[in-house]
Amino acid sequence: MIVIASIVVFRHYHDPIGPMLVGTFILGFWPLLRERAWLKLAFNAATSVLGTGAAAVALWAVPGGDEAPIHLLVIGTAAAAWAYLVVNAVLVSVPVSISCGEPYRKVLRELAHFFGPGSYAFALVGLGLGWVYLEFGAFVVPLLVVPILIARGTFKGYLELQAAQDQTIETLIHALEAKDRYTAGHAQRVATFAGYVGQELNFGPKRLERLRYAALMHDIGKLVVPNQLLNKPGRLTEAEFARVRRHEEVSVALLGRIDFLAPVAPNTTSEAATRSVEEEAGPVEPGIIMVADAFDAMTSTRSYRKALTQEIAFEELRKNAGRQFRADCVEALIAGIERRGERYGDGFEVSDEEWEVAPPVAGVGSAGLGDLLPEEQATR
Amino acid sequence: MNRAVRVLVLLGAGGLVAAGIALTNSDSRGPGLVLLGTAIAIGELVELRPPMRAALPLSFAYTVVLARRTSAAQAILVVVTAMAAAAIVRSQPSDVGGRVVLFGQRLVAGVACILAHQVVSDAVGDAPSRAGVLLTLVVAAIVPVLVADLLDMAWSRRLSLVPHGRSADVALAASAVLMAIADQGIGRAGQGSGGMGLWGPAVFTIPLLAAWYAYERLAEIRRTYDQTIRALGAAPELGGIVRAGHAERVASLSVAVGRELGLSRSEMEHLEAAALLHHLGQVCLDEPEDGRPPEAGAVAEAGAAILRSTPLLAPAGDVVAAETMPSLGSRAVDEHVVLAGQILKVASAFDELAEGDGTRAASALETLYSGPAYLYDSKVLGALEIVLDRRELLDRAD
Repeated sequence: MIVIASIVVFRHYHDPIGPMLVGTFILGFWPLLRERAWLKLAFNAATSVLGTGAAAVALWAVPGGDEAPIHLLVIGTAAAAWAYLVVNAVLVSVPVSISCGEPYRKVLRELAHFFGPGSYAFALVGLGLGWVYLEFGAFVVPLLVVPILIARGTFKGYLELQAAQDQTIETLIHALEAKDRYTAGHAQRVATFAGYVGQELNFGPKRLERLRYAALMHDIGKLVVPNQLLNKPGRLTEAEFARVRRHEEVSVALLGRIDFLAPVAPNTTSEAATRSVEEEAGPVEPGIIMVADAFDAMTSTRSYRKALTQEIAFEELRKNAGRQFRADCVEALIAGIERRGERYGDGFEVSDEEWEVAPPVAGVGSAGLGDLLPEEQATR
Repeated sequence: MNRAVRVLVLLGAGGLVAAGIALTNSDSRGPGLVLLGTAIAIGELVELRPPMRAALPLSFAYTVVLARRTSAAQAILVVVTAMAAAAIVRSQPSDVGGRVVLFGQRLVAGVACILAHQVVSDAVGDAPSRAGVLLTLVVAAIVPVLVADLLDMAWSRRLSLVPHGRSADVALAASAVLMAIADQGIGRAGQGSGGMGLWGPAVFTIPLLAAWYAYERLAEIRRTYDQTIRALGAAPELGGIVRAGHAERVASLSVAVGRELGLSRSEMEHLEAAALLHHLGQVCLDEPEDGRPPEAGAVAEAGAAILRSTPLLAPAGDVVAAETMPSLGSRAVDEHVVLAGQILKVASAFDELAEGDGTRAASALETLYSGPAYLYDSKVLGALEIVLDRRELLDRAD
């Protein structure tokens, strides 16, 4: 924005050096100044100056001098913004690619995110600023700067609030998980795995955020299950199992109360759930969370059995794909984990606590649930 | 039909009319006025919504531009048409009555803006200086915001001169002045030189759109957080630990009593969160073998410990902990926290005695009053009585 404004202003004075001097404004970039990263600053200033030069060439190519019609200038501004971004991206990708060891093309593609409509919009504001400054003088500048600062301040407030609330909800869920020491960190891991699947399925940032949040909250209904049952070593009776199972209903009821999450709350009727697995209908998010939940359950030690290996967990997921789990989610999770070269399950568990009662090595159980103890055997 | 479609409908209609006029009529001012009218209609749907404050539509800014462009009579005609179109297309409020009221409020504000512009520009004379033009525009930009605020206060019959969210007003007014200057220049109205035409308002809408986006996200995250706290608060009742609706009722009653006792806005927010979550501790304790409910002090301590581990809810944790303190706080804590804890204690005990049933309010209050004097704070009980009376839950026949 500043660059475009300066080009418009100096265009009037036929001075090509002016905008390039303004291009060095990036020297005042505070985070780098604070770190005393002089080399980075010098490099950034150099690319910025070159980018400004390119943008100036693009904008000055607009015919008509001071009398140039405004719609031509608007087109020229788009070209100038594009030139500035391209020169910067092409130059910045070189050191980034060298220092991160990533291929040059990949870095360039990632930097291309900055080419969104926002950059052009603010280039246009720059054009407007340059224009009104030339026509009416400096007194109009605060009229523009004030709304921009207010927008920026509000957005910053939003980001801070979001971070604080994220942290609050994570801490809260973590504290509630303390009910069940076997599942410490479970919600966090399910959120991570769900995120992998979401990325494999090319979700946008807002959808990923919703998925992460829903994954964190997926077991919230466990609040209503008495601690003794959650931590009971060995097998559960049918009645106890039913009581533990009720938490799923409660989780769904609670998710449904949050507008942001309601669209991804799973359908509770069992026919609807089966249909959504078989026909891959309805929102995919409950399916993702189910797969991520099952994978984490299988690869971590629970009160009723030890952790399974990653291979067995993958095999088990694939075996039930299309029946219990959505096949696309299963494959996306496996792809996401293998792409990152991560290992979970027996031998790779994060925490290896000493269990008071050693968890039994039980049957595989499709969702990682141990085999049930027949009721009469339990009462004996 | 979502907002994007509504905006496109208005834009398409306005664009077609403007193009039609441009093709058939040699008067060059027509299309510009139609486009500005379109901007006003769309601006009615795009509102800056700072927290706890009436929404500010972007249409006010375009009305300033319009007032500067043409005569007052013509401008009012355009504003009426544009705002009526917006009132038809908009989705909120969903009822016809609400829309008519909103249309009326916005129309009065828009007309006030045009008239204010007319009055001040008449006063500064035919050949105004730069300062004169600036003064005219600033007045014209501030008047609709003020009028809309006053109307809103009159309609809701509540005096609220909150300083919250005033930055949105400043952003809107500054942009409005800038748009008007960029459009017609700063010379005399109507025959200005050096303006960039409607490109000016278009370009300087961008910072306002950025502000609008930021406010929308802020409102969204607040709503999600609020609903998360409420959902967590509802967990104990879904688990059958407390009566259905207990948390919400206690929260509403606590806030009402807190307002009566002069707690500040932030203290009431903490009190509300504490009231919603005050049974959270219970679900974290082991279920006693004999089936009796766990001891109140232990529940409060467990709940407070969880809340205190999170930065935003720590003050609510203090309130929950204060709930089980005797009314004359023995520990050195903030007296407002002690008061909030007492309010929570009284509200919770009242709801349990009344069993969530309004008709039992009088006897429940009676029971609270007859308890040992150290159990419930008499000041809080007095405030509770006032609140219940206002809700017409107490039988005042005697």
